[in-house]
Amino acid sequence: MPDNTETPARHQIRVEEAVKSFSGRVVVDVDHMLLGDRPIEGLIGPNGAGKTTLMRMIMHATGLDRGTVTLIPNGSGGDEVVLSRLPTHRMAGLGVVKSNQVIMDFEKLTIWDSLLLSVADAKQETPYRMFGEKALFEQHEEEMREHLEFFGFADPTLHAMSAGEKKLLDIVRCLLLKPRFLMLDEPTAGLPDEMTEKVMQRVRALADAGTAIVIVEHDLNVIWKLCDEVHFMAEGKLILRGTPDEIRRHHTVIEKYLGEGHV
Amino acid sequence: MNLNWLSAFLITGLFSVVMVAGLALLLHLQLGLTRIANFGVVGFFGTGMYVYGVLYVRVDWPFGDPWQFLVCALAGTVAAGIAGTVVGWLIADLDVDAMLLGTFGFATMVFILATTQKSLTGGALGMGGLRFPYKLGTVKANEALWLLILVIIVAGILFYVARVHRSPYGRMLIAVGDNEALARSLGKPAFRAKLLQFTVGSAGMGLLGVMYGVLERFLVNTNLGVELTLAAVVALVLGGSARVWGGVIGAVLTIGVFDIVVQSYLPLPKSWYGQAIPVVKQMVYGATLIAVLMFRPLGILGGMRRDKLMRRVHGA
Repeated sequence: MPDNTETPARHQIRVEEAVKSFSGRVVVDVDHMLLGDRPIEGLIGPNGAGKTTLMRMIMHATGLDRGTVTLIPNGSGGDEVVLSRLPTHRMAGLGVVKSNQVIMDFEKLTIWDSLLLSVADAKQETPYRMFGEKALFEQHEEEMREHLEFFGFADPTLHAMSAGEKKLLDIVRCLLLKPRFLMLDEPTAGLPDEMTEKVMQRVRALADAGTAIVIVEHDLNVIWKLCDEVHFMAEGKLILRGTPDEIRRHHTVIEKYLGEGHV
Repeated sequence: MNLNWLSAFLITGLFSVVMVAGLALLLHLQLGLTRIANFGVVGFFGTGMYVYGVLYVRVDWPFGDPWQFLVCALAGTVAAGIAGTVVGWLIADLDVDAMLLGTFGFATMVFILATTQKSLTGGALGMGGLRFPYKLGTVKANEALWLLILVIIVAGILFYVARVHRSPYGRMLIAVGDNEALARSLGKPAFRAKLLQFTVGSAGMGLLGVMYGVLERFLVNTNLGVELTLAAVVALVLGGSARVWGGVIGAVLTIGVFDIVVQSYLPLPKSWYGQAIPVVKQMVYGATLIAVLMFRPLGILGGMRRDKLMRRVHGA
């Protein structure tokens, strides 16, 4: 089990007795789970284990049948917030951000638009503020260009075209929200190796700066290399929690998920 | 000023073009950007018109025009905005079909209220007593100035819509209309944004109703038929529902061509004007809507071009 003597000043999320079922089939049934205990945590499990649904429940993009999801800001340095009572759009303001497993983009918006949308706050998006575009752009131009250059976007005035570009744009949008608790749902799926490495660089840097990261990923090399702690889910339940080494040597995990060849 | 060139018929025709352009511009914000399908345009228009008319005629105001007009016009606009908030609250989270039915239902309610509340509205017989808030000497001069005021108001709406496209607010509306779940995950309060936008748009439609009521000076429930909603929808879809100028171009090509060119300048038999032309007009509008949706669903101006706008505003 991880060393908990050092309490990081990171956001943590506590999931308690959270149940979600679709058409009578229980998809998530987690008794207790604490996320954000360690800088980078992995969430793994076979297909249908409930990983993505659990993340959506944390964001309240999927409602809970019962149970609670609670944000513990700054490693209990602030007042707890029950996320499962809040609408989804409040999450980003609390620093809780999630990238998407399936490719999601705004068909009508260009890359610039997408980035500016992420950095704009509610005060800048009111019906009577008609002249704030230039100031918004200038305020965030350096930061946006730095991301675009790092990930190699060609022309930000165009729409994101390829699946990989849309996936990266989704991640950049999340990064621009300045997350304190970032959930990445298969962030490297469909990306070439060098892009995967770049995403991982950004994730590490963010974790070093104090953001709690939770990654759902089927590429286990990413999990083993990056994560300080791994949660293993199967059939909607949290089965195991431990360091990557502990998890990859566990009999149940090998049997249910990894297979002998991956140990 | 010599106004001989301006016939009463031309003033009414131009007024209709500008007014429908204004309604289509407001509808563009709702449908074109935020994807709120509003088939009850005339309901909000009628709320503004009748609240204004009833207050102006039935209330014994301690002051005269222009204050009487301004207070009543403000009340009509606010009432339409409040109606927009209530209807928007009910429909904003529903799918497009339900939005269409809900807004159409609201317009029907306004029509029924205007018809049945005879002591206030005059019912089917109508209500007179409205007048211009100024006197220039001749009816034509009064109407011409009223047309000019409407042009200024609609130009203001056009300017506002153009600015919305270039503002963070407009981008947020487009994002909400485009992919609401994704917009919410980025912290955008989609429901509130739609509700506020619907409220502002409805209030604008109410103001245009006030303007029309004053021009007509006689309110009758036949003003509240589906024809006006259809005209705004056809204009917007024909011009291009996602483009700033779509509604304006569409209004010129539909109302402008039909109400001004065909009715004023084509040598049509006089007997046609009573029954045939209004019916033919609705048929042509309906056919235009079908043809546009079949052959050019994005309208004459086509889809939204954020790439061009971003190049112009921010460069590569």
